[in-house]
Amino acid sequence: MHRFTTLAVAASLALGPATSVLAQEIYAPNLAYRTGPFASTGIPLMDGQADYMTLLNDRDGGIGGVTVDFEECETGYSTEKGVECYERTKSDAIVTQPWSTGITLQVLPQTNTDQIPILAPGYGFSPMQDGRVFQWAFNPPASYWEGHSMIAQAISDGDLDNLAGKKIAFLHLDHPFGKEPIPLWEAMAAEHGFELLPIPVGIPQMQNQSAQWLQIRRERPDFVVMQGWGAMNATALQEAAKTRYPMDQFVGIWWAGHDADLKLLGEEGTGYRSISWSIPQPDAPIMADLQQYVIGAGKSQAEDVNSVFYQRGLVISMILAEAIRTAQEIHGVAEIDGPMLRDGLANLNITDERLAELGMTGMVAPFATACNNHTGSAGAWMLRWDGEKFVQDSDLLQGDADLIAPLVEAAAAKYAEDNAPWPVDETCDPQS
Amino acid sequence: MLYRIAGQFKTNYRADQALFPVSQDAWLLGLILICAWVAFPLTASEFTFQTLLIPILIYSLAALGLNILTGYAGQLSLGTGAFMGVGAYACYKLLTIFPWMNPVVAILLSGLFSAGIGVVFGIPSLRIKGFYLAIATLAAQFFLIWLFEKWAWLYNYNTSGAIQVPNVDMWGITIAGPLASSTTQYYVVLAIVTLITLLCINLTRGNLGRMWKATRDMDIAAELIGINLMKSKLMAFAVSSYIVGVAGALFVFLWRGAAEPNLFDITLSFQILFIAIIGGLGSILGNYLGAILIVGLPVVLNSLPELLGVEIKSATLEHLNIMIIGSLIVFFLIVEPHGLARLWGLIREKLIKWPFPH
Amino acid sequence: MELLRNIFVTPFVDMVAAPDFLMQVVWEGLVSGVLYALIALGFVLIFRSSRIFNFAQGIMVVFAALTLVGLHEMGIPAWIAVAGTLGVMFALAWTVERVVLRPLVGQPDIILFMATIGITLFLIGFGETIFGGENKQMITAELGIPTGDFVLEPFGGLLILQHIDVTAVVVAGLLVVGLVAFLNYTRMGRAVRALGDDHQAALSVGISLQTIWVLVWFIAGVIALVTGIAWGSRAGVSFALEIIAYKALPVLMLGGLESITGAIVGGLLIGVLEKLFEIYWGAPLLGGNTESWFAFVLALTVLLFRPQGLFGEKIIERV
Repeated sequence: MHRFTTLAVAASLALGPATSVLAQEIYAPNLAYRTGPFASTGIPLMDGQADYMTLLNDRDGGIGGVTVDFEECETGYSTEKGVECYERTKSDAIVTQPWSTGITLQVLPQTNTDQIPILAPGYGFSPMQDGRVFQWAFNPPASYWEGHSMIAQAISDGDLDNLAGKKIAFLHLDHPFGKEPIPLWEAMAAEHGFELLPIPVGIPQMQNQSAQWLQIRRERPDFVVMQGWGAMNATALQEAAKTRYPMDQFVGIWWAGHDADLKLLGEEGTGYRSISWSIPQPDAPIMADLQQYVIGAGKSQAEDVNSVFYQRGLVISMILAEAIRTAQEIHGVAEIDGPMLRDGLANLNITDERLAELGMTGMVAPFATACNNHTGSAGAWMLRWDGEKFVQDSDLLQGDADLIAPLVEAAAAKYAEDNAPWPVDETCDPQS
Repeated sequence: MLYRIAGQFKTNYRADQALFPVSQDAWLLGLILICAWVAFPLTASEFTFQTLLIPILIYSLAALGLNILTGYAGQLSLGTGAFMGVGAYACYKLLTIFPWMNPVVAILLSGLFSAGIGVVFGIPSLRIKGFYLAIATLAAQFFLIWLFEKWAWLYNYNTSGAIQVPNVDMWGITIAGPLASSTTQYYVVLAIVTLITLLCINLTRGNLGRMWKATRDMDIAAELIGINLMKSKLMAFAVSSYIVGVAGALFVFLWRGAAEPNLFDITLSFQILFIAIIGGLGSILGNYLGAILIVGLPVVLNSLPELLGVEIKSATLEHLNIMIIGSLIVFFLIVEPHGLARLWGLIREKLIKWPFPH
Repeated sequence: MELLRNIFVTPFVDMVAAPDFLMQVVWEGLVSGVLYALIALGFVLIFRSSRIFNFAQGIMVVFAALTLVGLHEMGIPAWIAVAGTLGVMFALAWTVERVVLRPLVGQPDIILFMATIGITLFLIGFGETIFGGENKQMITAELGIPTGDFVLEPFGGLLILQHIDVTAVVVAGLLVVGLVAFLNYTRMGRAVRALGDDHQAALSVGISLQTIWVLVWFIAGVIALVTGIAWGSRAGVSFALEIIAYKALPVLMLGGLESITGAIVGGLLIGVLEKLFEIYWGAPLLGGNTESWFAFVLALTVLLFRPQGLFGEKIIERV
């Protein structure tokens, strides 16, 4: 009998929705993933994000006198958990940071009715640039399409016609995130006469890519461009080294430039390039402040604060913090809500002067968003692995707006049509 | 006292074999139905709808489908997730090709597609048995996910490769898509789930259900007493996949709102298998109990630190969650391998005798 | 016509045209096959002695590898860390037997199968709490595993054999030989086999079920450690490895659930065939990534003709 009573109690756990009461605080949750197959890339980013917010809270007393509650909700990169996190946080949150293309797609339609802006820095999907259709979604400072356009410029030495007759393998995760840049590459291949060879890596094959690299060995592409994530990147780099694919012909998107992955290779990875909209600046004034207020105070979990990903996390939180500040200025209120933050995100203006004030000179390129450009198009740099660390390898590159704008507009229009009736902001002028 | 059956006389076999030979069961069910149809919708918050009520119903339905196959007909399946995917993609195609179609009709029709595919992958069950049969459904699982990824026609050549649920109206009310309200979605799901559950209760008590049970208990013996194994097994695959397919269509259209092929991967299959096993194989009630536990527990666990005011890192919490769920699965299997439904059966038995157990 | 040509002619022409590349494909297939076979071997041992379909074998690989790396990170020399890991795997085997298996003796197969999934979840949560989710580097050099490669030039082409892979193949071979010797020539080993043949009879001649189960789970843990080292030195150690364990399922089914030979032959066969199929048919004709399902479909096809797998014991059913 006894065990029935215990079980009955266990089974009748009451359903209790989570509600949190907050006072004089801005609630900006982060749908983090520190577990699961993608955790290796997630952890340093989340650390950087959290540390920046801790710094603002401890050094400046928050933003505009209001502290930021930067709580994490763990998703493990699973869409299902992500949606649960979104539902859990949305009653008080002023922002959603979904951290996965799958979660972004899922919550995007709902943010319209819930009036919570999505902030997906450098991810989400590229058509989000069109702020007339995606009124509540922001992906500053650069989109995947812009990133791949820059990669194409870098490997062609600035003139895409140099690629004519060449073969480019596009190694990607077989997942919405991985397939995102394919339309852009197809458009570029058609226009400039090079051959595109998409090579998918299924999630179960992430750590076993020998088939993909055998195919690369057979096809001998002139360049391999990688849209990879999580455990896929480290494996791809090791296979490249093993099959003796020349590293200087191997280029990755910004999520495929994780220091830890390349440290596994060390010298052998010399020459590998990754496009990046952020550059680590170990000597930036903000790093000293972080050392003093956060790391020195034992409030950080970070291991390598000079890695590309950690510092990118700082930049991401900076973008959010600046948007909050802008929103506070526009509305004259300290405790802003979701719709106010949207105005902040749509009117961001990160200038060189502002970056200098923040002590973050050179960590990201200056950019400004507008109602018709939710990406901001900051541009990015090429980084090169020198055997020990990533070093800057190019001047600031810019995506080819003439090529991307029509694609963005068409994809956004299709999205609005598929989801009709979809609200479109007619007050805003189209970009092209 | 409450569950006393004294005084309830049955004067013919028909009455004895009725759905609720004990009137208190009927009362209890009535109470649950009133809760589900009236009390919950009036009191639930958006969060409760989206993370508890709707998913519990949908997962129960999927587990019910699996239970028909594994619990009643004894054929192990590890491909439930993929069959849900077939239902979801079929529904998506139906509604984008025929936008005028009534969405509930589309959802019910999409089950037919997964039933068809289920039968195809069920054919090996005529020859392969036990754990070896798991390979047939695993092949379905991995092959279908690959197909969802590669066959661009299925997702209307979207750039993202994911399907997005459009706004769908029925009789002037939006029931699916971003504009639909949770309450509407809940009622549609509840109606379909109630309907299918009712059908299943009767199906498993009837001729077909008895055929399945005979097949499960020993298929050679069943064949010897004149049961057509092919019919029995393939019907089980068809009925099971139909229900699972409908659950998949509901899963995407009335709950998630968007889906990528990966959503239907093997973890989903296992989750549903957990529900069916923890709930109790070969029982209808068990699916609901199992779903309440497996879907509800993580939500409750996640809310717990906040309710108790304990600071805990989200990652640690997630790790603890996984550990607790893993241990609970083992714990429940040890305590009652026949599942929560059997546990309820035992409690009911005791209640009937209470307070004079001897 | 074009399609038929692409299916039946072009691939073979390609194979003949570049024999060195074909050899490389087969070699890569063999190496993955060895690792599949090792995971499957762990399954088979446990299945033979206890009829438990141990889903947790995959996570045991990750857990063992992480423990090894984790211990080494704490400053323990490599070989002592190996010994320490073996100790942890023994503790795990003992705990599993004590806490999970003993109370579940005699339950239906599917219940035991579910219980091992419960163990899997527990180990995932436990492992991530202790070791974190980052991708870690296997301590290849510290264990004295050679890195680098042999470059051969058959038919004037290029064939690259990684030292790590060669070592993995050799070690796996030694492990199998040792295991077979253990099962055939030692008292304990014979007890394991006896238990696999007939539970009741084995118990009646005084073989202790509990001891043997702990032993078998421990051996599975040792195999997991070897697999973890081999695979980890190719791709790093993280929980993403766990996904590969699914591949062991078709290997098992193809080879037959009780057969050690089956696990090895099945593993090698699947490793090579899926690689050949992907390179010569899958990638050019089907859009690639066929490795995710090929093994399962192959196993299913074979089972249709031999329902007990290639080397499984013939299933005799009585009423």
